Amino acid sequence: MFVNFIRTSFQKTFSKTSSRTLLLLLGALFFLPAYFYYLTKRGDDPYGARLREIRLGMEKDGTKTALLDEVGGHVRRKAEFFGGHVGRDEIDAVAEARLKDEALRRLRQEAPDLLPFSFQSAVASFMSKPPVMALFVVFAFPAFIFLVLMANAYVKYTYERLIMTVFVVLGVTFLVFTILYISPMDASYNILGDLATQDQRNEFNAAYGLDKPYLEQLFRAFKGIVTLNPGKSLLGGEDVIVSLANKFPVTLQLTFYSLLLAVIIAVPSGILSALKPYSAADYTVMLLALIGLSIPAFWFGLILILNLSIDHKILPAIFMPGSWQSYIMPAVVMGTGLAASVARMTRSSMLEVIRQDFIMTAKAKGLSSAAVTVRHALGNAMIPVVTVVGIQFGAMMGGATVVEKVFNMPGIGNWLIDKQFIPDTPAVLAGVVYIAIVVSLVNLFVDILYAFLDPRIKMKIKGN
Amino acid sequence: MNNKTFLKRTEARKLKNFSELGALNISWAASLVIALVLLYNNFDKSVMGFYIDKMSFPLGLAYLAAAALSLALALASRAGIKAKDGIAPWVRAAAVLLVPFVLIGNVFSAIAGFMTAKKTKPIEYHLAYFSILNNMMVFVIGSLNLFKPELPENFWLGQGLLALSMAFYAVALVLVSRAADTGRYARLAPLAAILALTAAVGNVFALLLALVVFARIRNEGGRNSIEWVETLRRVFRNYMAILGLLVIVVLLTLSVVSALTFDYRTATSNDYSTLMRAPSMEFPFGTDDLGRCIFTRIVFGARISLIIGMISTAAPFVVGGLLGAAAGFYENRLDNVIMRVMDVFFAVPGTLLTIAIIAAFGANMLNLIIALSISNVPVYARTMRAQVMVTSNSEFVEAARGYGRRPFEILLKHVVPNSMAPMIVRASVSIGIAVLSTSSLSYLGLGVEPKIPEWGNILKIGSKYLETNPYLAIYPGIFIIVLVLAFNFLGDGMRDALDPKLK
Repeated sequence: MFVNFIRTSFQKTFSKTSSRTLLLLLGALFFLPAYFYYLTKRGDDPYGARLREIRLGMEKDGTKTALLDEVGGHVRRKAEFFGGHVGRDEIDAVAEARLKDEALRRLRQEAPDLLPFSFQSAVASFMSKPPVMALFVVFAFPAFIFLVLMANAYVKYTYERLIMTVFVVLGVTFLVFTILYISPMDASYNILGDLATQDQRNEFNAAYGLDKPYLEQLFRAFKGIVTLNPGKSLLGGEDVIVSLANKFPVTLQLTFYSLLLAVIIAVPSGILSALKPYSAADYTVMLLALIGLSIPAFWFGLILILNLSIDHKILPAIFMPGSWQSYIMPAVVMGTGLAASVARMTRSSMLEVIRQDFIMTAKAKGLSSAAVTVRHALGNAMIPVVTVVGIQFGAMMGGATVVEKVFNMPGIGNWLIDKQFIPDTPAVLAGVVYIAIVVSLVNLFVDILYAFLDPRIKMKIKGN
Repeated sequence: MNNKTFLKRTEARKLKNFSELGALNISWAASLVIALVLLYNNFDKSVMGFYIDKMSFPLGLAYLAAAALSLALALASRAGIKAKDGIAPWVRAAAVLLVPFVLIGNVFSAIAGFMTAKKTKPIEYHLAYFSILNNMMVFVIGSLNLFKPELPENFWLGQGLLALSMAFYAVALVLVSRAADTGRYARLAPLAAILALTAAVGNVFALLLALVVFARIRNEGGRNSIEWVETLRRVFRNYMAILGLLVIVVLLTLSVVSALTFDYRTATSNDYSTLMRAPSMEFPFGTDDLGRCIFTRIVFGARISLIIGMISTAAPFVVGGLLGAAAGFYENRLDNVIMRVMDVFFAVPGTLLTIAIIAAFGANMLNLIIALSISNVPVYARTMRAQVMVTSNSEFVEAARGYGRRPFEILLKHVVPNSMAPMIVRASVSIGIAVLSTSSLSYLGLGVEPKIPEWGNILKIGSKYLETNPYLAIYPGIFIIVLVLAFNFLGDGMRDALDPKLK
């Protein structure tokens, strides 16, 4: 029972390229000897031998000729119908494929446990012996834990998504670095000014490693990102990671507050719209939402500053560290666009759910309309809204740039804009890649949350 | 009691069937709001009293008149529908009086007038009067230049051409409506050809009208329904969507015609005798710190916004669409490769990717277009892939496969044309987003070069004088909102028109 459980998990984990490497690494102490065992055993292959026997049998008892005739007839009739012409070898190819299928089918019927011979099947059958399993648990304990974990559908799903995220982050680093590398702009020119001599420029480039070949610089960039040490900025020589750590909380807080504000306003109004579609309230909410989508954030910010800060002096016009009032206007400005899309999404998804059969059933059961809405419709309608919020989070981390500039907040976006004119490669690269990492992690989190929320996706994950 | 609610509902449905009534209602409400705003301008807050402004007072009164006339007609047609299931002929005749209000920029009344004037309204009728309204609006906007001390060189040529084309559209309106009633389109081919020619100024309505007439001629007088004409008809049922389309087409026509009726120098060359003027007849939106007319700058800015918006939507539409179609149709390694690359692009927030690209290659219009296009490609690829995967499973694709068509042929001839609906909807919304991004990036100094009159650039100057001259920042912002809103309304209308569930 236990042996079988581990064996199945091994089969599944091994067949995926993404998890195979890690599995082999974790269990190297066990798999290395197993590989030698496999090399010695490669001579006798029961599966291949049996398959050959079946093929010979089919030739002897006349199945082969019958099949050839049948397939030949099919192919010829098809060609006649479409007015084409078929050659002898085409018929042979089709017949051969049919023969192979037939042989495989017979083999499966005869001995369902027999597997095609490979390292995987050899180890799997080897493992079914309890003493070998004990050895596996002792010598390859990390691999054993890994297999136990991977047997759980959610862990497996999370692991696969995590591996993908790692590749995406590496891809982003490569992409952004390459864009900055092929830039025709010369950082040394922008920093040293046009009076600097060529020697001074060369010296500058050598000091910052900008004269090194592409691959070496790219490798250094990868290393910098992974070890959280992206180096010093070209202008001023500030430590990039320290600056980022200082700026990051401002951007994150701003994003979080606007997200909170947007959800608090948008979800109830979207639900209200959907419960009374085509009413005056619905039209008003949807018109406001559409206007919210169309307002340029920086203009809205300026108008708020004009009205609330300059004319009425209620709120501070520019950011002051440590004062919560400074966050109100930026959060409102950034929340507007998000609230608009969330309200529209809530309405359409709610309308979609309300029209479904299970809502009719709930009503027919005699539930009050409030109970139907809260207990049956709401949860299902929120699923796409969660996705929208997750996707928008990424857009907001980037979009915060404009708002930070308007309100002069010391966030990452504002800092990046100041750095990009040079262009300050280490700073721009680190800023963009770390934000992309945060965005990817949030998307990963949303996807996993989704897997727990949506029974349809749950089924799909478990089915795989 | 049940009987009563039933009757009430039937009546509401009956009223809803008359699009004229809706248009008249919007006409009086919108005119009233605009009239009140204009008349409020005559109210001086500091002394709490009225004074009479040369510009806004007569305009306000005219809008008030339009509101009164629309309200009267709305009440009359409402009574007619309730009593006799139809609008009385005298109401329809009187509605023509609403049309001239377009001369003061009141499109709401003009649309209501045209809509009420005719009982049966084929799509050709709508397209014809929208062609007239469009050129009329551009004519009116150009006429504001009459208050300037000197006119642009080719001003009268431009205005004359517009007037001539309007007269031609009026003739076309009559001929096309008659053809639609009788079903005899055969002799309209030359007319349609000229219509298509006049569309060169950017009048999309005229172009659509020409295309509809050609399609009808090919289809023997409209006996068979044509798929795209039906979709167009459904878009025209949505008032806000066509209003959005009108705004877009007016700005498009304006950006072509402004080459004749506006002077580019007024928008770009400094004039130190007219620094920081407040809005007046000569400078409708005032002047900036270098004495340039904000109104003219906004007119030329529309051209930049539309060009950038359209190119940076068309390029990723094609590239992303092809990648997505390939990924969705050949579900195997190709799909994996394409979508993983798209994931990398998708992981970087659009604004940041744009900033990185502009950081590398410098801030100018071409780089901005490239940057916006690249960050949009994954969105289109995902949309197309999802739709292609659905379409590939339909029966007609199976049939084509069974008939022995090659996969590539099936993809190009059957799958892609039937997967376009979500792409078109996304495109119309994303032009609006591109307009927003362009102005935001210009505001940050990362977009169009500062010397070009782009809306974001105009706003950037305005933001410096927020305390003293707020109008410098307010007007360009309103134009951005109106254009983006127009694209959003059009996008919603297209989505509903293309949605198979709502057909």
